[in-house]
Amino acid sequence: MRESILLKGLTRYYNSFLALDNFSLSVKWNEDVALLGPNGAGKTTALKILCGLLRPSAGEAYLAGVNVMEERERAISNVGTILETPEFYQFLTSDETLRYVGRLRGMSGRKLDNRIGEVLKLVRLEKWSNVKIEKFSRGMKQRLALAQAMLHDPPILILDEPSLGLDPRGMMETREILKEARKKKTVFFASHLLTEVAQICKKVAIIDHGKLRAYDDIGRLKKKYRSFERAYLKLTEATI
Amino acid sequence: MSEFEKLKVVTKYELLKQFRRKRFYGALAITVLVIILIIGLYQGLDLLRRIGIPEQLISQWGPELFAMFVTSMGALAILAAVFFAGDAIASEFESKTGYILFPNPVKRTTIVVGKYLACFIATATIIITAYLISVGALLAFYGQVPVGIIGSLALMLMLACSIISLAFAFSSILKGGMGATIATLLTFMVVFTIISSSLAYAGYDPWFMPDRAGDAVASTYGLPLEQLIGGFGFGGPMMGGMMRASQDPTLSFFVLLAYAVVLFGISILVTKRREMI
Repeated sequence: MRESILLKGLTRYYNSFLALDNFSLSVKWNEDVALLGPNGAGKTTALKILCGLLRPSAGEAYLAGVNVMEERERAISNVGTILETPEFYQFLTSDETLRYVGRLRGMSGRKLDNRIGEVLKLVRLEKWSNVKIEKFSRGMKQRLALAQAMLHDPPILILDEPSLGLDPRGMMETREILKEARKKKTVFFASHLLTEVAQICKKVAIIDHGKLRAYDDIGRLKKKYRSFERAYLKLTEATI
Repeated sequence: MSEFEKLKVVTKYELLKQFRRKRFYGALAITVLVIILIIGLYQGLDLLRRIGIPEQLISQWGPELFAMFVTSMGALAILAAVFFAGDAIASEFESKTGYILFPNPVKRTTIVVGKYLACFIATATIIITAYLISVGALLAFYGQVPVGIIGSLALMLMLACSIISLAFAFSSILKGGMGATIATLLTFMVVFTIISSSLAYAGYDPWFMPDRAGDAVASTYGLPLEQLIGGFGFGGPMMGGMMRASQDPTLSFFVLLAYAVVLFGISILVTKRREMI
């Protein structure tokens, strides 16, 4: 299987609203691809289908060659995710939350203890490990979301606006973490921030009104449209 | 990792969540206070003689009558079960915690079963505490515990199961946890009661209604309920019919079990189909 992520003709309606229109995309192993588009373009819908949280009206989605609709649990075991702006159980601490999801992903004992320490340090929450999440700020929850996505060291990361709600330092740190992660993992993330996309990824899929408008190297798009910004505006039907 | 192992993990952490919530300790405190109050009123006011229970019945069935009074707190079990279960599923969608829980290699069925077990354990903790206090009072006042209290406890736990299932069904269908909680309370305490009363007035035996079946928690002590009803001053064919209908604890147990299984099955099916939109 050459593709880590494969979307084939995904179509999704919300009542009569067409959110995804025959959307197809393939991401090779260890590629880093951004799904870029304006608000309401269909980015989150595509990611939710990929994670088995939504069913497509038509089409198929594969993770590591496993059909998400047919074998959701097996497909999702290869993935770490951040979707929308996740919330956590207020009554648990970050350590307990990570232990909960870690156990569900088959981790246990010393391996889990060590890994929890590593990811909390990575997102700079090690001093907050035994504090209940009800005391966390929006940015701290986003950091914890990144920690839980990376906890089981998955080969594929699917992230929806991973730096949303973070302060400038948090945004920079998240980008550094993702830059490091992309060396060994497939990173597929949705964003509408051009600067973030250009910093983290080499390749971009531009989506608008549920359709794939372009899927290419950022460098090639820059050359073709004179700048990345121009490429984005042209392909999303806006004017300069 | 087997699905059973995952079920243990879900149950453990869902239970941890329940035990960290103030509502658990609130429900526990209210239950203990109500039981102590019932015991105090029963003993302090000499309640049975005041409401006209014949002396012969009191001397013959003293411990059983006491046990029936203090363990007839089905409303508390209903409240505890509803408050623990109402938001169990709906909150995952409403509060967006499902974005962390659902994208894990665990079946939705396992998650729902784990949540159910956690809610049941939390509710059972409160119910068993109430029964233990009742047992303590029985030993203190009468030096004996009627064997019927075991059947009463079993029925109360089954009543809790059926109410948790009803709450889970609403929680899986409705958008909000508060809506599911209110819908469960209204259904059990108003809708079911109206249906049961209407059936009884029309001369039909409402043995298949969960609220009526729940009344059987008081009929496991072998008490002559029709004589007691006469003592309470109600009487009449309708009331006698209603009490007879709730006098078969075994039938009531299976009625409640049927509601618990069917409603829980519905909640699993709906949750499996439900999308995180």
